[in-house]
Amino acid sequence: MFSPEGALDKNMKVLVVDDFSTMRRIVKNLLRDLGFTNISEADDGSTALPMLKEGSFDFVVTDWNMPGMQGIDLLKAIRADANLSHIPVLLITAEAKKEQIVMAAQAGVNGYIVKPFTAATLNAKLDKIFERLG
Amino acid sequence: MSVSTGVHVSLVEAKLLVEYLETGQQEKADELIAEIQNPINSELFAEIGKLTRQLHDSLNNFQLDSRLNDLATADIPDAKERLNYVITRTEEAANKTMDAVESIFPVVDTIQKQIKAVNPLWQKLMHNKLDLPEFKSLCIDIDLLLKTTDKESVRMHDLMTDVLMAQDFQDLTGQVIRKVIDLVREVEDSLIGMLTAFGLSSEGSSEPSKPKVGDNLVEGPIVNAAQRDDVVADQDDVDDLLSSLGF
Repeated sequence: MFSPEGALDKNMKVLVVDDFSTMRRIVKNLLRDLGFTNISEADDGSTALPMLKEGSFDFVVTDWNMPGMQGIDLLKAIRADANLSHIPVLLITAEAKKEQIVMAAQAGVNGYIVKPFTAATLNAKLDKIFERLG
Repeated sequence: MSVSTGVHVSLVEAKLLVEYLETGQQEKADELIAEIQNPINSELFAEIGKLTRQLHDSLNNFQLDSRLNDLATADIPDAKERLNYVITRTEEAANKTMDAVESIFPVVDTIQKQIKAVNPLWQKLMHNKLDLPEFKSLCIDIDLLLKTTDKESVRMHDLMTDVLMAQDFQDLTGQVIRKVIDLVREVEDSLIGMLTAFGLSSEGSSEPSKPKVGDNLVEGPIVNAAQRDDVVADQDDVDDLLSSLGF
C-alpha cells in the first residue's frame, strides 16, 4: 500500500460503498481531489463483497445503513475473510448512536466519520488511518 | 302472583283497581295501570336512550371513518408521491450541482498549471534577471494564460450560475414537505378523534416512545441529537469516544 519512500500510494484501489449515487459521487470527488484515481463503486455490502473477493482492493469506504447488506456486516465479513481482513475500512455514516460506534470499533473499523462531514475531516481520517498502518 | 315482565302488582293496588272499575272511574283505573307499568317504561326509556347515543356516536364515527378512508385511499398515496418527488428533485439538484463542479475542477487545474509554468520566468523578470529569449518565452506563456483565463472565466461563471439555479429545488421541496406535514397532522387528529369517540384516552403514555431501529440499531440521521444522550453530537464526539476505547 505504501511506496518505498513511505508516501501514501495514490494508485491504491479504493472501493466506495453507498446506496445513494450522489453520496458515492461526493466521496469519489473528494478522494480524487486528494489524488486517488483508482476508485470503484458498489451500492451495498452484498455487491461490494464479491468485488472485494475478486479484485485486489486496498481500501474500503462504506456507508452503514444500506438495503441488502449493511456496512457493519460488510466490515465483519471483511474481517472474517483471511484474504480480505487486512483491508482498512472507513465508515462514513449518519448512524450516530454511541452503541453503534462501539460496535464498529469492536468489529475492527479503521475510521468512523459521521454525516454530514467535511472534506477536511475525510482528509484527516485518511491520514490517520494510513499513518497507523504505515 | 308472578308477572313475567318483573312488574309486581300489590293486593292493595289490585283492590283499588277493582274499586275504580266497579265505581265506573275508568280514567283513574287507566292511570293506575300506567303507574304500575312505570318501572318498565323508565328502563325502556333508558335503554332507548343508550341505543340512541350509540347510534349517534356510530354516525359520528362513520363521518370520521369516511375521512380516514379518504386519507388512506387518496391523501396518503398522494403524500407518498409528493415525497418521491422530493427525493427525485433533491437527487437531480445534487447531480446538477456536481456536474457543474466537476466541470469547474479541471478548468481551475488548467489555470493553476499555466500560472505555475509562468511563475519561474516571472520571478526572474521581477528580479531583473531575465534575458531576451526568456522574455519572449514568458510573453508567449502569459499570452496563453490570459487567453485561457479570459475564456474559462466566462465558462466558470456559467457553470456557477448552473450551481445557483440547481438550488431552486429547496423552495419546491419545502412547499411539498410542508403539505405532507399538514397531512400527517390531520391523520394524527383523526386518529385521536377516533380514540376519543371510542372512549380511549390518547394520553396516559407520558413516556416518549423510542424511535424504531432496524438491524444493528440503524436509525438514519438523528434529527433531535440535542435531546438525546445515546447519540454523538458531532465528529469530535466520535473521535473522543473512539479514543476512550483506545483508538
